Amino acid sequence: MVRKPTVDAAPGGSALLRAGGRRLMRAAVRRFRVRMGVLAALTAVRVAATLTTPVMLARAIDAAQAQENLGAATTALAVTLGVAILADAGEDVLGAYCGSHLTAWLRHRMLGRVLALGPQGRRRFPTGDVLSRLTESASGPAAFPVLLLAAAAAIASTAGAVIALALIDWWLAAAFAASVPPLVLALRVFVVQATEPFARYQISQAAIATRLLDARQGIRTIQASGTADAEARRILAPLPELREAGRETWEVQGRVSRRLALLAPLTQVVVVAVAGVRLATGDVTTGQLVASASYAAMAVASASLFDTFVQLLNCQVGAGRIEEVLAAVPAVRPPARPRPVPDGPGRLRLRRVTVRAGGRAVLDGLDLDVPPGAAVAVVGASGAGKSLLVATIGRLLDPDDGHVELDGVPVTALPLPRLRHAVAYAFERPAPLGATVHDTIAYARPDATRAEVRRAARAAAADDFVRALPEGYDTPLARAPFSGGELQRLGLARAALADARIVVLDDATSSLDTATELKVTEALRRVLAGRTSLVVARRPATAARADLVAWLDAGRIRALAPHAELWPDPGYRAVFDARPAADGAAAPEPAAGA
Amino acid sequence: MTAPPAARLLHRHVRGQWPAVRRLAAWSAVEAVPTFASGLLLSRAVDRGFLAGRPLTGLGWLAALAVLYVVGAVATGRVYPWLAATVEPLRDSLVGEVVSAALRRMTGGAPDAAGAGVSQVTEQAEAVRALLGAALRNVRQLLSAGVAALVGLTLLAPRLALAVGLSVALGVAVFGAFVGLQVRRYRAVVLRAEEIGESAAAVVHGVRDVVACAAEDRAADTVGRVVDAQARALRAYARTRLVRLPVLALGVHLPLLALLLLSPYLTAHQGFTAGDIAGAVAYLVTGLQPAVTVLVDAGGTLLLSLAVVLGRLAEICAVPAAAAPSALPAAVESFDVETERVTFAYSPRAAPVIEDLSLYVPEGTHLAVVGPSGTGKSTLANLLTGLLAPQRGRVTLGGVPLDPAHARTAITLIPQESYIFAAPLRDNLAYLCPQASKARLDDAVHAVGLGETVERLGGYDAEIPPGGGGLSQGERQLVTLARAYLSPAPILVLDEATSHLHPAAEARAERALADRGGTLIVIAHRISSAERADMILLLDGPSAVLGTHETLLRRSPLYAELVGHWHT
Repeated sequence: MVRKPTVDAAPGGSALLRAGGRRLMRAAVRRFRVRMGVLAALTAVRVAATLTTPVMLARAIDAAQAQENLGAATTALAVTLGVAILADAGEDVLGAYCGSHLTAWLRHRMLGRVLALGPQGRRRFPTGDVLSRLTESASGPAAFPVLLLAAAAAIASTAGAVIALALIDWWLAAAFAASVPPLVLALRVFVVQATEPFARYQISQAAIATRLLDARQGIRTIQASGTADAEARRILAPLPELREAGRETWEVQGRVSRRLALLAPLTQVVVVAVAGVRLATGDVTTGQLVASASYAAMAVASASLFDTFVQLLNCQVGAGRIEEVLAAVPAVRPPARPRPVPDGPGRLRLRRVTVRAGGRAVLDGLDLDVPPGAAVAVVGASGAGKSLLVATIGRLLDPDDGHVELDGVPVTALPLPRLRHAVAYAFERPAPLGATVHDTIAYARPDATRAEVRRAARAAAADDFVRALPEGYDTPLARAPFSGGELQRLGLARAALADARIVVLDDATSSLDTATELKVTEALRRVLAGRTSLVVARRPATAARADLVAWLDAGRIRALAPHAELWPDPGYRAVFDARPAADGAAAPEPAAGA
Repeated sequence: MTAPPAARLLHRHVRGQWPAVRRLAAWSAVEAVPTFASGLLLSRAVDRGFLAGRPLTGLGWLAALAVLYVVGAVATGRVYPWLAATVEPLRDSLVGEVVSAALRRMTGGAPDAAGAGVSQVTEQAEAVRALLGAALRNVRQLLSAGVAALVGLTLLAPRLALAVGLSVALGVAVFGAFVGLQVRRYRAVVLRAEEIGESAAAVVHGVRDVVACAAEDRAADTVGRVVDAQARALRAYARTRLVRLPVLALGVHLPLLALLLLSPYLTAHQGFTAGDIAGAVAYLVTGLQPAVTVLVDAGGTLLLSLAVVLGRLAEICAVPAAAAPSALPAAVESFDVETERVTFAYSPRAAPVIEDLSLYVPEGTHLAVVGPSGTGKSTLANLLTGLLAPQRGRVTLGGVPLDPAHARTAITLIPQESYIFAAPLRDNLAYLCPQASKARLDDAVHAVGLGETVERLGGYDAEIPPGGGGLSQGERQLVTLARAYLSPAPILVLDEATSHLHPAAEARAERALADRGGTLIVIAHRISSAERADMILLLDGPSAVLGTHETLLRRSPLYAELVGHWHT
C-alpha cells in the first residue's frame, strides 16, 4: 500500500514522458499480442472463478446445513477453486514471461539506438543517464501487462462483488456503498502527506552513497594515511538525519494503516450485520451470510487499485524514458545510395568545413588538403577545434556545412563501416572494450591473430606492461586497472592494428610521460610508414616529428608547412605556451565524443 | 548457499533491538485479536442471534467484533513506532558495518583491487531496511492473523483444527522445500541484472570508440547476450513460483473442502451448529487464506530478496578486520629508507615489474624517480609506503623492516588521483594534521600556491561538495600538496601528484615541499622534476640507474635524450 512517490518529478515534462511511454507500450502490446491475449483470457477466467467461489461456498455451506447434495456442491466448489488457482498460477508465470520478453525487447532496441546515435548522442544522453534508462527504466515496464490486467481484474472484481452482494440482497450492496467514501478519503490523506519525509530520506541516503564513492576515488590516499576509521565516521555523518526522516516515514505510514485497518474490517462487519438481520428474517441463508463477508472483502480489495495505478504511471514513465532515446534521430546517417570505397593512397580534401558548437562556429569554412602518405600534425590553441576537425574525417561528426573527401569521394557517400575501416582513430582516453586485453586491441579487427596483436602492441610500447599482467594478453579487462598512459598505448595499438589508409591520433599520447612518448612515436613511425596520418599535437616535439603542420587558428587553417618553417613565428610558438595554469577540467576542448 | 552467513549478519544487527521486537510482538498479538475472535463471535451471532430469531443479540455479538476491530486498529497504530524502533537502528548499524567493511575491503588488497560494486553497498543496506520493513509491516500482520485464525479454530473445533493444521504444515513444508531453489534462481536474476549494467557501461561509455571501430553490431551483441541471459533467468525464476499451486491447495483449499465434507459428521457427533460452520469457514477464508497467499507471494519474494541481498552484504562484510596496529618498533632512530634487492610481480605468472632493486635514501634526501611509464614507478611508490610487500628482498625504515602501521605515521603518499571529500576546505587541507592552526594553513597554502583558489572559494570554511564540485584537476592536486606540506610525516612520496599542474606551478610546489625539511621522493611526470632533485633514480625496464643530474647526463644515453628532448 505504501510506496515511494516516484511519479511527477516535473509535471509538464512527465505528462509528455508518459504520453511517449503509452505510445511505446501500445507498440509492445501489438508485438506481444498473442501472449497478451492468452494472459487476458487467463485473467478473465481467474476473475470469473474468484467471483463464483463465494456462491459455490454458500451453496456448499447450505447443503451441509441441510445435509443434501453436499457431494455435488463441494465438488462444484472444488472445481471452482481449482480453476481459480490454475488460472492464477498461469497468469503469474505467463505474466513474468511476457514481462521478461518485453524488457529484453526494450533493451535491445534502446542499445541499438544508442549505438546509432554515436558519440554525439552522449551530449543529450550522458553515460550514467543511458545506463539508468537501460537497467531501471527498462525493467519497470516488465510489470506492465500484469499490472494492466490486474487493474482491469480489480475493477471487474469490485463491480462483480458489489453486483453479487446486490443479487444476494440489495441491502447488502447499499451497506457496502455507505462505507466506501471514508475509505477513499483515508487513501487521499496518505498521498498528500507521504511525499516530504520520503524525499528527505532519499536525499540523506544519497549523501552517504556519494561520500562512499568519493572515498573510493581516494582509496590510495586513505590506505596510505591509515585513516579508514575517520573516513567511516565522515561517510556516516548524515546517518542521524537519515534516521529522523526514516522515523517520520513510519509515522505517516502508521497513521494511514490505522485508518485502513479500521475501515476495511468495519465495512465487512456492517455488511455481515445487515446480512444477519436478513438471515433472521429468512431473506438470506447462512451460506449467503458467509458469502457476503467474502464479497465485501473482495470489493474492499479494490483499494489496491490505487497502488496498481501508481505502478502503471511508473511503468509509463519508465517506458517514456526509453521512448525518448528511441525517438532521438542520429546526426550521422548512412548514405541512401552508397558508393564503393575507391582504391587510393589516402588523400584527404576538406572544403569549406564549418562546425558549430555552443552557438559559435568553431570551424568556419575551413579548407585543407592532406597529401597521401603524409604525416600531418594538427596544432592550435586549446578550444580551437582540433578534435572536431579530425572527427569529421571518419564521420564521428558531420560538419554543419562543407564536405570532406577521401580519395576523391565525399565521405558521406561511403558505407559507414567501410569508411571507418579506412580511417582508424586513437584517442586521448580510449575506451577499454571487449573481454580481454587482446580483444580491446583487436576491437576493430576481431579476426586478428595473437602475433598481429602483439606486433601492434609492440609498436605502441604496450607489449611489456601487457605481458607483466597476471594472464598477459588474456587478462580480463575488469582485472587490469590501467593508468591513463597505459590505456593510451592500448588505443594506439588498436589504431596500429587496423588496416586503415588514414590514421588519426587525437591527442593520443598526451598522458604519456616524455620518455614514453618518444619511444612510442619512434615505433609508430615505422608502422604508419606509407599511410596518411593526422596527429593532434600539444607538444612542440610532436609537431616537429610530422612532415607538415596544419596550424588551426580562428576556425581556419592559418598555415600548412613544416614545423621548422613555422617555429620562428612567435604566434605559432605561443600556441604551445598557452597552457592554462591548471589544465584539464579548467578548459575542456570541445571534443567530438566527450 | 548464502543463507547461514546472511542469517548471522541479520542476527548480529537485530540483537540490540530485542526490547523493541518484544513490544512489536505484543502489539501484533493485540492486533490479531479481532481475527482470532471473528469466527467465534460470528458463530455466536448466527446461532444465538440471527438463526434463533433474536437479531438484536446477533447484532450485539457483531458489535463486540466491531469493538475488537477498533482495538485492533489502535494496536496497528501502536505497532509503527516499534517497527521504526526495530528497523531504523538496524539500518544504522548495518550501514555502519557495511561502510566500514567496504572501506576495509577497498584498502585491503592491492591498492587498485577495490572490488566492483563496493560503492553500491549503501543501496543494498537500504534494500534490507525496505524489505524488512515490508516484511514486518504486511507479512507479519497477515501471518499473525493466520495464526490467530488457527488458534480460534482450535477453540471452535479442536479436531478439525488439528487436521487443518496438519494440512497447512504440509503446505508450508512444500514451500520450504523449494525455497533453496527459488533463492538460487532469484540470485541469478540479480547477478545477471548487475552484469547488464557492467557490460552496457563499457559499451555506452566507449560509444565513440565502438563507432570509430565500426563495431556497433558486435557491441550490441555483447550486451544483448547478457540482456537475454537475464530474461532467461527471470523466466527460470518465474517457473519456480508454480510451487504456489500445491501450497495453496494444501494450505487453503483442502482444509475448506474437508470442513464442508466432514460437516455432517461434525454436526452429528460433535454438536456442530450452522453458526460453527459459518465461523470455521470465516477463519479459513478471511484469516488463513490471506496468510498462506501472502506467504507464497509477497512473503516468498520478500524472503528471497532479503536472503539474496543479505547474502551479498555478508560477502562484503566477510573481510577480516584490519590487523591491530602493532606497537611502534622501538629501535627506529632515523628515517632512512632502504630497499634491499627488492623484486615484485603482480602475479607469479607475470613478469616482475621491479627486479632486484637496491636503493638507499638517507633522511632529508630529495629524490626524483624518472623513466617511461609502465616501468614500475607507481609500484615502487607502493613498496616504499608499505602498501605492497615485495616477493623477494625487503624494505627497511631506519634499519628495521617496514611495518605498514609505522609507515602510515612516518610516510605520507600523495597519489596522482587526488582525494577531495565532502567537508569544509579546512578539513581537506588538515587531513593529515587535524590540529593545524590558521597560521600553519596560511603558510602551507602560500607555499604550494593555492592562495588564489582559497580566496575564490571564500576561505577555509568553504564547504567542498561531494565529488569536489568546481575544483579543477590542478586545484585538487594543489589541495593535496598543501595537505602533504602540513603532514607531520618526515617522509613524503609524491606519485605523479603534480601531473595536472602547469610546469611553473609544479616547480613552486615541489620546491616548497623540498624546503619543508625531511625526505621528498618525487615520482616524476615531467623530466623537469629531476633537475630539482639531489638524486635521480632512472627506471627503464629491469635496469635502474641512480645518480645526480650531472652523472646521469654522462652515464645514461636515455636520460640525456629525455632531458635534451624536453628542451627542444
